[in-house]
Amino acid sequence: MTRAWLAVAVAGACTACSADHGPRFHAAGSRTPRAGGVLHVATEQHVSTLDPALAADEVSLYAIHAMFDTLVDYAPGSTALVPRLAARWDMSADARRFTFTLRDGVTYADGAPVVAADVAASLDRARTLPDSPYGSYLADVSSIAAPDARTLAIELAHPDAAFIYTLTMSFTAPAHRAGDGALAGAGPFTLAAWEPGVRVVLARNPRYYDAARVHVAGVELRENVPADVQFLAFERGELDAVDHLAAPDYQWLAGEPAWQPYLRGASTLSAFGWRMNVRVPPFDDVRVRRALNYADDKAHALRILGGTAEIAHGLLPPGVPGRDDALAPYPHDAAAARRLLAEAGHADGLDVELVTYAGDEPERLAQSLQADLAEVGVRARIVTMSFAAYQTAIGKPDGPPLSLAAWGGDSPDPTSFLDAKLATSAIGSDASANDSFYSNPALDDLLDRARAERDPARRAELYRRAERIVFDDAPWIFEYHRRAIEVVQPYLMGYDPHPVGIHDYASAWLDREAGE
Amino acid sequence: MIRVVARRLAWTALVAWFVVTATFALLAAIPDDPMRALLGPHASEQSIAAARAHYCLDDGVVARYGCFVGDALRGDLGESYRSKRAVTDVLADRWWPTAQLAFAALALQLAIGVPLGVIAARRRGRWPDRAITIGALIAASAPAFVVGSLLLDVVAFRTGWLPLGGYGDAGVLDRLRHLALPALTLAAGGAAAYARLARAEVAAALASDHVRTARAKGAGERAVVLHHALRPGAAPLIALAGVDLGALLGGAILVEWIFQWPGLGRELLLAVLDVDLPVIIGIVLVSAIAIALANLVADVVAAWLDPRLR
Repeated sequence: MTRAWLAVAVAGACTACSADHGPRFHAAGSRTPRAGGVLHVATEQHVSTLDPALAADEVSLYAIHAMFDTLVDYAPGSTALVPRLAARWDMSADARRFTFTLRDGVTYADGAPVVAADVAASLDRARTLPDSPYGSYLADVSSIAAPDARTLAIELAHPDAAFIYTLTMSFTAPAHRAGDGALAGAGPFTLAAWEPGVRVVLARNPRYYDAARVHVAGVELRENVPADVQFLAFERGELDAVDHLAAPDYQWLAGEPAWQPYLRGASTLSAFGWRMNVRVPPFDDVRVRRALNYADDKAHALRILGGTAEIAHGLLPPGVPGRDDALAPYPHDAAAARRLLAEAGHADGLDVELVTYAGDEPERLAQSLQADLAEVGVRARIVTMSFAAYQTAIGKPDGPPLSLAAWGGDSPDPTSFLDAKLATSAIGSDASANDSFYSNPALDDLLDRARAERDPARRAELYRRAERIVFDDAPWIFEYHRRAIEVVQPYLMGYDPHPVGIHDYASAWLDREAGE
Repeated sequence: MIRVVARRLAWTALVAWFVVTATFALLAAIPDDPMRALLGPHASEQSIAAARAHYCLDDGVVARYGCFVGDALRGDLGESYRSKRAVTDVLADRWWPTAQLAFAALALQLAIGVPLGVIAARRRGRWPDRAITIGALIAASAPAFVVGSLLLDVVAFRTGWLPLGGYGDAGVLDRLRHLALPALTLAAGGAAAYARLARAEVAAALASDHVRTARAKGAGERAVVLHHALRPGAAPLIALAGVDLGALLGGAILVEWIFQWPGLGRELLLAVLDVDLPVIIGIVLVSAIAIALANLVADVVAAWLDPRLR
């Protein structure tokens, strides 16, 4: 909102910001992680709740992830799973029974022991709270048992090899009510202070079971700081890192050689494009859907995003097992698009409504697609909605048939994309997760078999076949996967964007000179 | 006088009721599903239906309205969907930052605007008048987000004298340092309006018979301007200040956002983006009451200054 104006205001002046355009602060040169110091970061959003069962937004989960360790978690900078509060886990041969053995001697910050029943209680809480978004993640769970303090057994009604990823999500973390009645976890940090809308302050948990993993003494997460102001604060050294850079700031940094070593990127678990309701004409004709895929020039979208994206051939982002990296995206081919449209009976072109939501980027992406479609005779009228209205509208069967699609996966697993967005079982009547209303028994069958498959290679093969079906049926105009970009101060180590979108404060360490 | 105030207070209650009812109706008409916004894109249809039932969103607008009014009369404005905090607690947290900003901005715009208007009136047609008039036109036309962004970049960032926004928790001086730029941003447009109004009022008064009489009786220039020209011209200035104060007390959305000031305006912006209906209605209610009360106070002050208005 203010971003564009700030950009205008700053652009004129900021080209000559500092005398030398490189970093003002430097690393001391330590080779091993140093302990101590406070990590200063900020977010444009706000932390809405610190209750893991209720938090649906990314930023609340940054803080929650640091306060509530889960049984399993992602390794730093990678989508590989590592044991956290569970010493080990086991999946039965039919992918229906998961057994976890908790580490010995783990306690909460107040010294109370962490027991398996606490995990069971967290799962129950998510299932029973009426306004928890996580109840349906456990819809397939038929029983949860904690036969002793260190053993947790979860049984599913149907096989699902990907269920283990659910146990990385913060709502599954063991929690208990501390003396002050607040919900506390057994994470590397504890809550020191929270002023809603101003800042969350975390302090290192003195009783954390793996003390060597945590380096900084604390974290200050400032809330509701506009992206441009974050960058100014970063230049002044008040922030140690900035993620979600505003496009002008990113482009300025990308053009400064001195900043190159401190720009960090990672593929995110996201898929963007344009979803079509495949039950509604003209999108019920696969030729039309393919034609639109040929018409869309993805290079335009990449330019709008300033290079912080990768072109998509489907829904699965890079790094997800089963993604067919050899599958080439639909090329920009206006002739092919026109031919397909003519075959579908639209030789004179088409009139469509193109729904997007308010914001600099989504509006520009819509304008770009509008121009590409015009080239093949498709006259698109752009309709801009508020984000909340857009979210509500696209899940309705009689909602806008063609709209922006933006999806972030919960886990680095194909189920989080293909089952969630394109399976027949994901079609609803009012707030449909499958908002293309696409239903294909052949795809459903592959997805079901893959869920039950324990062998990674065979599972990947099934998903490659599924990807091919999705590509051919084209329920979306596939466009791009987002890259997370952040810039760090030269003295900030071990703080890289994580592919799963978590913020790993525990791995970060500050290599600052004394007195700097 | 007391009867007038009582009548105005009753009127304030009516205005507040009307504004809240209109807001309620508008929010009921928008197509956004607050539970979709709350639970996020990953929540299943069943989760959303359960949450809608929990917050009585399926109960029909009339029933919800009846419920809301009943609770509101008992001082319960509901709880925020997002944070689960009582709306009255949210308002209690947010009104004081906004009040500080509002009074600081009002004081600044009066302190800058009125003297400039007086100077312009006394030098009417000469260069100080022209400079002030043109400057006021520019200041009045510049949107707050442009002024705010420029001040943040030029004054705070380049010089390093002032913080890049925030509330300031380390004592009174620290608070004032954080308050300076947002207050100045808000005051810029207002100061221009006061300068123009003061110029017109004082110029008219200076040309009037009573000022000529005062001069003839040998009153000093200082007394003439302050006592005989500015005081009778103060009523419109105070009326304007009342309107401004009311508006400022409702929260300044953009300025609070740019400067990360944890007030009502920013809270309203976030509540609208999150479709957090109870918070939106709570803030609208506070704004409506603030505007009505500030106007009432302005009328009382004006009447006290100018007996003809009583």
